[in-house]
Amino acid sequence: MKLAVVGKGGSGKTTTSSVIARTLAKAGSAVVALDCDSNPNLGISLGVGDEETERLVSMRQALDEGEEAHAPTWDTLIGRYGSDGPDGVRLAVVSRIDNPEPG
Amino acid sequence: MRLAFVGKGGAGKSAIAGTFARTLARQGDNVLAIDSDPLPGLAFSLGLPIDDSPPIPDEAVVERKEGEQGPRWRLNPDVDPLEAVEKWSVEAPDGVRFFQFGKVKGDAREIWKSQIAFRFIVNKLPAGHWNVVGDLPGGTRQAFTGWGNWATTVLVVVEPTAKSLLSGRRLARMADLDPEVPKRVMAVASKVTDPDDVDMIAKGTGLEVVAAVPYDEALAEAERRQLAPIDFAPDSPAVRAVESLVERMSEEKVS
Repeated sequence: MKLAVVGKGGSGKTTTSSVIARTLAKAGSAVVALDCDSNPNLGISLGVGDEETERLVSMRQALDEGEEAHAPTWDTLIGRYGSDGPDGVRLAVVSRIDNPEPG
Repeated sequence: MRLAFVGKGGAGKSAIAGTFARTLARQGDNVLAIDSDPLPGLAFSLGLPIDDSPPIPDEAVVERKEGEQGPRWRLNPDVDPLEAVEKWSVEAPDGVRFFQFGKVKGDAREIWKSQIAFRFIVNKLPAGHWNVVGDLPGGTRQAFTGWGNWATTVLVVVEPTAKSLLSGRRLARMADLDPEVPKRVMAVASKVTDPDDVDMIAKGTGLEVVAAVPYDEALAEAERRQLAPIDFAPDSPAVRAVESLVERMSEEKVS
């Protein structure tokens, strides 16, 4: 199953995603929860806390900064840059906007 | 006054921005309400039943010629920013002018040229004519990039929730790193229900909280009916709180 949750800001995407992810994991599935928001906060709804959410190195930033010399596999990325959440859900963040840019 | 509302999706930016713009206009000020969200939002909160803004034509931007320096796309030199606003904005109640950057409507028409033109027009607006009130899309993508740097005051709308606080903290941090002209960055507490919420938002974002907009069922009902809060519930506590915010922000307005 590959499931994406989309919608307007504030409508409950993150909350819905986190409950789906934890429910699937509780039922015994291996679940990766992928936060694709450039302002990522899925970690909070999953229950890993805001410090861990902020600590997660985003996968794209690691690639941009050259920590990965060759295109790694999905499993490598999720293993290296993901974080274990409650019920065994593996959380990974795709990108985060950190810096302002001049116009 | 050049003021942008930013914050997490759903925090109440559009409702607050629309009410703010209408209140300011009722005082007799020239108000340009701008919306750079590809999804509709601010029009309803201003009291426009439909958003029938004329599209900004593709010819408003021109491509860099060979041998020229600078960015690939620029504003057509024939386009005057003040005239452009008159031509491509629509009138909202209380005399507010509403200017938006092109909406995704489901058809195949590309709107990126319209959006680039919008950004140039807003950035090149001369000082002293418009009070600009902007409603930026949720999250951190636009706030401190080329889309938000027309603003001299940034109000971060924050709910008393962990996710909204985290977004507010990130926006405050990005504001600190912003190489552009110094901005005033402050927080507006939104959907406040508990006396400790304002303190929590001040501590959680590190920003001064300049208004506390209470949680107000009247605002939710206005959203359901697609009406502007200031029309549907002019005496509601939330609308009153935004009116106080206008008063507080009014020292640098253009009349």
